[in-house]
Amino acid sequence: MLLRDTFNAIRQWTEGLFTGWGMPDDWAFLTTEILVWIVGVVCAIAVMMVAALVLVYLERKVAGYIQSRLGPMRVGPIGLFQTAMDAVKLLVKEDIVPQGADKVLHTVGPALFFTVSLMAWLVVPWDDGVVIGRVVDQNIGVLYLMGVSGMTVIAILMGGWGSNNKWSLIGAVRAGAQMLSYEIPMLLALLCVVLAAESLSLGDIVGAQRGGSLLSWNIFKPWMWLPALLFIIAMFAEIARQPFDLPEAESELVGGYHTEYSGMKFALFFLAEYANILLISIVVTVMFLGGWLSPLGPIDSVIPGVLWLFAKAGLLVFFVLWVRWTLPRMRPDQMMSLSWKLLVPAGFLALAITTVAVMLGA
Amino acid sequence: MPKHTLPQSKRTPLAADIIGGAASVLKGLWVTLITFFRPKVTERYPFRDAERNYKPRPGYRGDFALITDRETGNLRCTACMSCAKVCPDKCIHIVAEGKGKERKPAEFYIDVGLCMFCWLCVEACPFDALTMTPDYEQAVDDPRKLVRDIEVLRTRGLEYEDVLRVQTAGVAEDGPAQTDAGEPTQ
Amino acid sequence: MSDTYAGQTDELLINMGPQHPSTHGVLRVLLRLDGEIVLDADPDIGYLHSSLEKIGEAKTWQQFVPYTDRFDYLSAINNEFAFVRAVEKLLGVRVTERCEYIRVIMAELQRIASHLMYFTSMGLDTGAVTVYLHCFRDRERLIDLFEDATGQRLLYHYLRIGGVRNDLPHDFVARVRDFIDYFPARLQEYDNLLTRNRVFRGRMEGIATISREEAVRHGMSGPCLRACGVDHDLRKIIGYSVYPQFEFEVPVYDTCDAMARHLVRCDEMVQSLRILKQATDKLPDGETNVKVPRVIKPEPGAVYERIEGPRGEVGCYLISDGSDKPLRMRWRPPSYFNLQPLPQLMRGGYVADTVVAIASLDIMLGDIDK
Repeated sequence: MLLRDTFNAIRQWTEGLFTGWGMPDDWAFLTTEILVWIVGVVCAIAVMMVAALVLVYLERKVAGYIQSRLGPMRVGPIGLFQTAMDAVKLLVKEDIVPQGADKVLHTVGPALFFTVSLMAWLVVPWDDGVVIGRVVDQNIGVLYLMGVSGMTVIAILMGGWGSNNKWSLIGAVRAGAQMLSYEIPMLLALLCVVLAAESLSLGDIVGAQRGGSLLSWNIFKPWMWLPALLFIIAMFAEIARQPFDLPEAESELVGGYHTEYSGMKFALFFLAEYANILLISIVVTVMFLGGWLSPLGPIDSVIPGVLWLFAKAGLLVFFVLWVRWTLPRMRPDQMMSLSWKLLVPAGFLALAITTVAVMLGA
Repeated sequence: MPKHTLPQSKRTPLAADIIGGAASVLKGLWVTLITFFRPKVTERYPFRDAERNYKPRPGYRGDFALITDRETGNLRCTACMSCAKVCPDKCIHIVAEGKGKERKPAEFYIDVGLCMFCWLCVEACPFDALTMTPDYEQAVDDPRKLVRDIEVLRTRGLEYEDVLRVQTAGVAEDGPAQTDAGEPTQ
Repeated sequence: MSDTYAGQTDELLINMGPQHPSTHGVLRVLLRLDGEIVLDADPDIGYLHSSLEKIGEAKTWQQFVPYTDRFDYLSAINNEFAFVRAVEKLLGVRVTERCEYIRVIMAELQRIASHLMYFTSMGLDTGAVTVYLHCFRDRERLIDLFEDATGQRLLYHYLRIGGVRNDLPHDFVARVRDFIDYFPARLQEYDNLLTRNRVFRGRMEGIATISREEAVRHGMSGPCLRACGVDHDLRKIIGYSVYPQFEFEVPVYDTCDAMARHLVRCDEMVQSLRILKQATDKLPDGETNVKVPRVIKPEPGAVYERIEGPRGEVGCYLISDGSDKPLRMRWRPPSYFNLQPLPQLMRGGYVADTVVAIASLDIMLGDIDK
């Protein structure tokens, strides 16, 4: 509640400031909104960077522990500065553009990937009503999210094609096929949640899970189990993690679409990929685990909701890392047949079940 | 012990395949989870060297040493060239000086960059003058430093004086001599 | 290449180059792809050629034994075994009972280490990176055993003409027994983590098949052949060394695909543990070495000695002309013959199956290129 109240107070103060300067009301509102967007974007970039830093370190540590080894230990106490030093290393590396590569595509690919990841952060609800892109979220939150995540496909294809490397091309084309195929089960699962919450806004979806207790979260309602399962499987495919990491299948394609990248461009791909993991974990938390709602119910007004959001998303991030280091990789045709032959029909089934449940007044 | 029967995934009905597949994935996840909490096997070399002895047992084929005779204070080596002749890689270069009982090596070079650590030279030496120590930290920054000269070999020999040289048999005509490979270091 | 017109796609000629994370050494495979389907594959070898056979003609018999390690460097003992037995046959030397037992113990430990390495590469190639580190954790125990017994960790030069380099350390047998107790639980873990995993099975079942007749025609051996239903294991058929004194089974599967080869190797590890248990229980006392002249000059003649290595039949053909160096030293590498049907294995499969095909053959480029 603290964050929400502070946020609203700052908004009102800013609006009041502009009105006090003689601006008409709607102009003041618009200017405040734009300022919030600008500050919010800067904050979102900061969150993305920090998230990527923390996540890369966590991934290496979790990977190490799963593999009976310690992970990074030398750089800083227990290796805490590892990612920061890696980022510095990437920044000072020589930027190599392969001969014959399409320079425009080669450069725009990573930039677009990063930008698209950033755009998706604008509709994340941090707390009750605390959203950077409030206008977007109120009307088309979920739709915006799906649209934006579709654009990552373009960025990956740019990266793959612009590298003048047949292996990168194969990786990029696989990525395109994979992400397109898994958009559909993802969308169907999201539709179930939207049906139950009767709104496209992420803030409203969290609000619909507000009840007396933990049990009002979507995950605890039986008709939400199938959508949740579908979404989690599709989540792995959208962020291109094992068992669906064909786009960058390390042992087959060396690096897939980001083989030929080094330096800052690779850093953009790398950081955006890890920020995506956190983003999609947050989306799952918002959809099914109650977002910023505290599990202790309304009695808890001390701990800001944003901390609960990160805690739950953190659990999901651990789950993503855990699965990555356990499961082997699927073959492209198996992945496609899983999506089209199994998940899409399951998605329609889930939609039917949810419709019935909603009509029965749940 | 696991006994394998071939899984029949092609003919499995879909429901059984889904449930069986999910079960196998969960079993795999369980294995990684318990490994997460088990002790780690990483050796923090070389930082915990004081606590853990990272030296292999005597008999380990590491870097070379020329042994100094305790009574006379000279090297046992008489520059008989046996090791140089037997080396498959021809990495030992000796220049002798003196005659008869006074014969000793003026120059003795072993090119560790060529050497394949096969131990034939140590076996060939009739005077137990050459040995290989458990010293495995041989990295240098210049390939020319990989050529060990007589002083380096003598110094290492003095450092590893208590290393037992494992004698092998089946090579010399005067029968086998079995020696233990040394006490365990851990 | 065909001309393109609307609706038709081009073929892609792609080079799975010598430097690749999954080619098990420096193997180059030229792939012709139609989309993701492999139309043809052309393996290209020779990147690791070190003229070891020619070196064999310039070194004495004892000097060449360390070079035999370097053929198949992941199963060094088995290479030495073949060569040393061949020379002993030429000389007419019979080694002691204890020496034979020690050699078998080392060979079986090496077989387990080699199969663990296979697990590593299979896991890595299919994407399960954790298996790699778990296998290396266990392989480290074996390597430590070798280090204490032989003095080196990978290329041992332990087996000698007429015996072994030195007798086993006094705690060796106890540590092998510890390993035998420790390992079955790990095998169960690998089972759960990799072999029974649904995703892994989808990658391996029905992939890279070769018919039984083709396998025999190409001269395949080892687990690749036993996965095609041919019950052929030299330890049982010839019964060299002291293998006839041990009770063990030879796993044979008949689906001829990558999964069958994988399962053959899993079961072989279990059987190796059985042999180790019996060998350490029955290890006789006595001398390990026999007297062999310092300069070995066998009678002129030729001998072909073959043993069962982890990858297949390891053969050593030696021709002696009475001098102290071989006239001709010819090595029969198992991986070379196992690699021959690679185009057939890859044709019609996907790009993702090429790595599985290469990994399931468990080839060793040091062997192939000599």
